[in-house]
Amino acid sequence: MPLNVPEQDYMYPGHVACPGCGAAIAMRFFLKAMGEKIIIVLPACCWSIIAGAYPQMSLKVPVIHTAFETGGSVASGVRAALDMKGDTGTTVVTWAGDGGTFDIGFQALSGAVERNENFIYVCYDNEAYMNTGIQRSSSTPYGAWTTTTPGRSWKRMRKKNIVEALVAHRIPYAATASIAFPEDLVRKVEKAKDIKGSRFLHVYATCPTGWRIPSEISIKIARMAVQNNIFPLYEVEDGVKYTINYKPKEFPVREYFKLQGRFKHLTEGDLAEIQEMVNEDWELLLKKAGD
Amino acid sequence: MTEKKVPSKVTPLFFARSYLSTEDNKTGSWRFLRPRYEEKTAPCSVACPAGEDIGRIEALTNQGMFKEAWETILRENPFPGVCGSVCYHPCEAVCNRGEFDEAVAINAMERFLADTARKNEFKPFLTNLSAKKEKIAVVGGGPSGLSAAYFLTLLGYNCDVFEAETEPGGVLRWGIPQYRLPLPVLERDISLIKDQGVQIKTGIHISKEFLKEAGESYNAVFIGCGYSRSRELEIPGEDLKGIKDGLAFLNRIRHGEKPRLDGLSVIIGGGNTAIDVARSVVRLGGTPLIAYRRRKQDMPAFSEEIELALDEGVVLKELVIPVSVVPDKGDYIVTLHYMRIMGEDDRGRALVEPDGNKTEEMRVKNVFKAIGEETAESWCVPPHKGEGVVTLNNSTLDCRTGSAVLVFGGDLTNEIKSVVHAVASGKEAAIALDILFREGLDTVESKIRDCLVGNGSFCSMEIYMKGPRFDRSSHVVSYSEINADYFYLSQRITQPRLLREERLATFDEVNLKVSASMAIKETERCFNCGLCNQCDNCYLFCPDLSIVRDKTPQGRHINYDYCKGCGICVVECPRNAMILEEETNEESAGRESCGS
Ligand SMILES: Cc1ncc(C[n+]2csc(CCOP(=O)(O)OP(=O)(O)O)c2C)c(N)n1
Ligand code: SF4
Ligand code: SF4
Ligand code: SF4
Ligand SMILES: [Mg+2]
Repeated sequence: MPLNVPEQDYMYPGHVACPGCGAAIAMRFFLKAMGEKIIIVLPACCWSIIAGAYPQMSLKVPVIHTAFETGGSVASGVRAALDMKGDTGTTVVTWAGDGGTFDIGFQALSGAVERNENFIYVCYDNEAYMNTGIQRSSSTPYGAWTTTTPGRSWKRMRKKNIVEALVAHRIPYAATASIAFPEDLVRKVEKAKDIKGSRFLHVYATCPTGWRIPSEISIKIARMAVQNNIFPLYEVEDGVKYTINYKPKEFPVREYFKLQGRFKHLTEGDLAEIQEMVNEDWELLLKKAGD
Repeated sequence: MTEKKVPSKVTPLFFARSYLSTEDNKTGSWRFLRPRYEEKTAPCSVACPAGEDIGRIEALTNQGMFKEAWETILRENPFPGVCGSVCYHPCEAVCNRGEFDEAVAINAMERFLADTARKNEFKPFLTNLSAKKEKIAVVGGGPSGLSAAYFLTLLGYNCDVFEAETEPGGVLRWGIPQYRLPLPVLERDISLIKDQGVQIKTGIHISKEFLKEAGESYNAVFIGCGYSRSRELEIPGEDLKGIKDGLAFLNRIRHGEKPRLDGLSVIIGGGNTAIDVARSVVRLGGTPLIAYRRRKQDMPAFSEEIELALDEGVVLKELVIPVSVVPDKGDYIVTLHYMRIMGEDDRGRALVEPDGNKTEEMRVKNVFKAIGEETAESWCVPPHKGEGVVTLNNSTLDCRTGSAVLVFGGDLTNEIKSVVHAVASGKEAAIALDILFREGLDTVESKIRDCLVGNGSFCSMEIYMKGPRFDRSSHVVSYSEINADYFYLSQRITQPRLLREERLATFDEVNLKVSASMAIKETERCFNCGLCNQCDNCYLFCPDLSIVRDKTPQGRHINYDYCKGCGICVVECPRNAMILEEETNEESAGRESCGS
């Protein structure tokens, strides 16, 4: 049976994302669920390029390109302007990368959601600064190679848990979603659309180029991340009500790491350690969800 | 757009605004791998002697398109009711789903479709090809003869079937008990064969003389007489009056006789006839014991039948052979000699020899012999290879006489004697004759090879007629090529059956009907290996919006102007209905139009 995803597309082909780009797929699904009554605020990231270099555009919806650290503040301003015009039907959406969200844009984001600005913030997470050549971000996972964590200096800090940071702001809605689970993603976008106030979506978006994987397994890797509890699918309402959307039976993470060039230096011992971390995070999440 | 009035004290913002779409970028020029739709071959369809397009049949059934699914069977097999009831389903043994949880219940689905077609009186939409001048006689109205006639009719030939009995069907009508194959199911299949244009002349016994004169009225004669005489035990006492022939016994029951059979009956043999006799004895009030010279796992009978027999109370005595039968006060004393295992043959069956002088005597009421059958008439035996003789997988062509061509099929040319093998031989013979008449003897073997399903040894009529199946790759899809992430564990349906108690007293069919909702649920389990079922995954996951829906049977095509060749569509196709190949410059539309 076909997956249940809205038919209409709001993207043109001919965009210049790398072959197999997960961020392009993420946008495609997001817009299908969101529809065209939106304004996208786009801080610097790969999507700044994918959306089209002037005078081209790959999206059929309005986009404001803006500075790297301003996703939260520009959206607040656009919202205020629309409200002044009496336009309450248009949804303001910030679409930012992990660098623009976890790191440089975090202040503006935290400020905006603390004020409970009425907008949706989507972070498509490709786990590094990809557009400028694969530099590590605070979203880059433990164990990963990047151009700033090369060779033996692979990243030894754990990935920042951005959803928990947002949940700590007690915003009305925060959720994770994955390009490999389009029905779940679409449902969450549709749900977020109907909520007022700050809504945050953390979307897993494979990057074949930066992760050193063949492009054809882009979705497969995203699926494995969920199946192995590396990227659990869950949602949190009002900062307290947790719902886990997918519960795998067992979750050996080994194969996920083995398939990716960015992890190829890891030893079995390292992988065992990572497995521990994943288990620990999962236990914590289960506890929060009261399961 | 109409100009909006800007209030004079507000300074207008001058944003650079894009006004072109990215469609001008022909990103197809980036591609060095090229995805393509390519249907492949499912393992079940290779194992099915009738070469049925099982993956497609299950997909159509799942979509509720029962008539189309049933017609898809009829393109390869005129006996959906019969095979749905008695086929030993070699397809299920190789079903890829078996490696995931349990094989798809293909056989039960076949019977479901036949029942649905019968209930709704579906008429198949199958047109015969334009009439050919050649006429063909078919000797024997059993499953192979009727199949040959059916497929020859589809190919446009005029066929007469000669059947010695009063009704057509052969072993299906006179041999297989009704609790496995009820008469209405058989009659429906036969009536459809007749509706297709096959002429059946009953009550005509064909002798060897007929072959001599056949050339005057017919261009070819198909001989599918099968085995009709039980083989001899060759032991003292076997010619005693009262020692019963298994086949003849089954025949009498199908003619309506219902003898009471109190007491112990010993059945000698291990094939399907032995099992049929034993289960019939149960139903006639007797206590059957099967005496077989090897082990249970070596029995040629189909294992499902053996299990049902044991469940009904049939006793199996392994590793014994009868050495004598002596009448004694209305009973018989059967002496069984114990056998011992010396090793195994290349097929894993036990090799046995008498175990010293160890014997056992048994007092029984009846003795049935069912150690296999042989042909009643020697002229039915196919000739060996030689000048003018073409030996195919399931039939043999003999062009030596100069008049009518002789084609041998059925049990006599098949290693496994099953109904569906009879269908295979009838079909192969029909195709071989068509090739012979249209293109000559020399091309028969190679052309037959061209219409085999996958890497197997059975023909497909649809492939021969260059239908849509012709375009499929013969690559047989393995389980590792299925994207199992798109499937969830789910239990195979359990074939509903009469309770054991209900079975014992009647010849009513043991298997009960499968409902439409059960069938839809069961066919959902099929991976549709290698076949597009329009799931749309390829379309959905393309990051480059390069898969475009259309009205072709494929339902969509790839826009190579933009496709970057990422390969996601190919990997996310759950059933391997796509392929990723190396791009060649000439083929790349994108490169040409982009010129980069
Ligand atoms: C203030 C500032 N610093 C640096 C840059 C250069 N820059 C542009 S995009 C980018 C990386 C963005 O990374 P991320 O937000 O993760 O998005 P991605 O490119 O990975 O999609 C950087 C460093 C910039 N545009 N502005
Ligand atoms: S899953 Fe379906 S198509 Fe594949 S082998 Fe089994 S029955 Fe055939
Ligand atoms: S998913 Fe799209 S871009 Fe990728 S190979 Fe398939 S058609 Fe081409
Ligand atoms: S992904 Fe689905 S629609 Fe596409 S080729 Fe495979 S079966 Fe057909
Ligand atoms: Mg990034």
